[in-house]
Amino acid sequence: MADFFVEFQKNLPEILRALLQHIGISAAAILLGMIVAIPVGIWLTYHEKPAKVVMAVFGVVNTIPSIVLLGAAMILLGIGYIPAVAVLFLYSLLPILRATYTGICEVSPKCIKAATGMGMSKMQMLRLVQIPLALPAIITGIRLSTIYIISWATLAAFIGGGGLGDLIWMGLQSYNFGLVFCGAIPATVLSLVVSALLNLVIKRASRHKSEEAAV
Amino acid sequence: MVRFENVSMAYGTHEVLKNLNLHIGEGQLVVLIGPSGCGKTTTLQLINRLIRPTAGSIFVDGKDISQVDPVDLRRGIGYVIQEIGLFPHMTIQQNIEVVPKLLGWDENRRKERTLELLKLVNMDEKYLSSYPSELSGGQQQRIGLLRALAVEPPIILMDEPFGALDPITRESLQEEIKSLQQKLKKTIVFVTHDMDEALKLADTIVLMKDGEIVQAATPKQLLSNPANEFVEQFIGRHRIYGGKADTVSDVMSDKAACVLPELSLVESVELMRQKHVPSLFVVDDNHHLLGQITIEEIRQVYGRENIPVGEVPLYHGPTAVKDESAKEVFDMMMENHIDAVPVLDEENRVVGVVTRSSMVKSLAHVVWRDENG
Repeated sequence: MADFFVEFQKNLPEILRALLQHIGISAAAILLGMIVAIPVGIWLTYHEKPAKVVMAVFGVVNTIPSIVLLGAAMILLGIGYIPAVAVLFLYSLLPILRATYTGICEVSPKCIKAATGMGMSKMQMLRLVQIPLALPAIITGIRLSTIYIISWATLAAFIGGGGLGDLIWMGLQSYNFGLVFCGAIPATVLSLVVSALLNLVIKRASRHKSEEAAV
Repeated sequence: MVRFENVSMAYGTHEVLKNLNLHIGEGQLVVLIGPSGCGKTTTLQLINRLIRPTAGSIFVDGKDISQVDPVDLRRGIGYVIQEIGLFPHMTIQQNIEVVPKLLGWDENRRKERTLELLKLVNMDEKYLSSYPSELSGGQQQRIGLLRALAVEPPIILMDEPFGALDPITRESLQEEIKSLQQKLKKTIVFVTHDMDEALKLADTIVLMKDGEIVQAATPKQLLSNPANEFVEQFIGRHRIYGGKADTVSDVMSDKAACVLPELSLVESVELMRQKHVPSLFVVDDNHHLLGQITIEEIRQVYGRENIPVGEVPLYHGPTAVKDESAKEVFDMMMENHIDAVPVLDEENRVVGVVTRSSMVKSLAHVVWRDENG
């Protein structure tokens, strides 16, 4: 541990740079994932058959070890930032997709019935009823995805994507475990902080539920 | 206001509605009732096009609704469901204001209407910022009702709105609907399987069975002239206190103890003893009432037991007719300590008798719904 503090002080600017890079890669992957997975997840709730196929395909993708996919991305897209983000983006899709899909599907039928009966169009129903009610579930999916992505982003260094993984690899290669911790600890802390923040958002999105148990 | 013309509805080969014809007049509260699977909810949901018929047409306000955009149609029709279906993520105010907002009402107008609505059901303004989960079931359904009333639709559909509430809350909401209906004069189509509720609320009751209308009538007509045995059974099972102890004919016994004036007093007393009755009605050959003898009359002619009853000074007490109010007769008997009141037809013939025990029997029948009583 003493090694860690020494290395930490020595490499502080380097760690900060790597951290920012790490955040950049993860954020890009997650944002892209959200932009794609949320609309697709909603669309799938209206199309049962494609939904099954899509879920199955992404279920398989997520079982492929990330190292393999990173290798494939390197072959197809070369090395650097882009292929790293591309692979992480693929991984981010399933949790968000699944959360959106189930979240929307699980909106209680009585609300749908009431909304239809009062004359809401499909879009109004999505905007006013389904999405707000599915929001806690969707954000839970995003949170799960984010935690995965932050930890997997350490592998991005493998194909020259940069980030905290750089420090870990360098440390491993030179048997400098202090340096390994300099990458691993900030990555863990980042994960915890983002997770806690998103939990707050979830709490806020489902504040109407807090009293439900009492009734 | 709402008209069904030869409407049929089938899911696959299962016919839910068979050639339904029904007209619901403006400002009427029509209750659709029947055993489960009779098609009452289907009928209701055809009106706001949640379901489309397989044949026939439905007209709302003179327009064939298959030609109207369902979203527009539904905004003009209030809809209250058993599951209530308030949006849990919206406050009470937001819930009430959903449709006004969809119709683009500005904030002031919305708020004004919301306050007006709350007053209608005597609910406090403090609930406006609550979430539905903080309200009781009864309060939630009140809000469900207000939500349906928000933009003053001329038609309101209610699908077993009080089915999931406890009896006391249900009763108070029924009262509210009734008084609201008197104030607002909406056309209400109300589905229930509870005959008590139907009798209480309806202008017209439409009794359905197997996708067909068995009888459409006012509650009174339905009770007094059930169209067939099924209707009779359906009312019978849902008989309410007072429903069948209304008139004298409900509480009388048709086995009045009558004697001809020629019968001797001794024999008459023996008859009273055998039949365990406190009095006898003296009638002529055509069953016209001549008078009554009770212990009192017999006591007055003590010692002359062999004279015929016709010669005893008869008692002329109160009489009743079949469609008189049972309660009045009951009160009169209690007040004057009368044991038996003869029931007469238009020509003064004895057709029955109301005694304390016949009264009690009928009331017991009503209270305990004893089919054999």
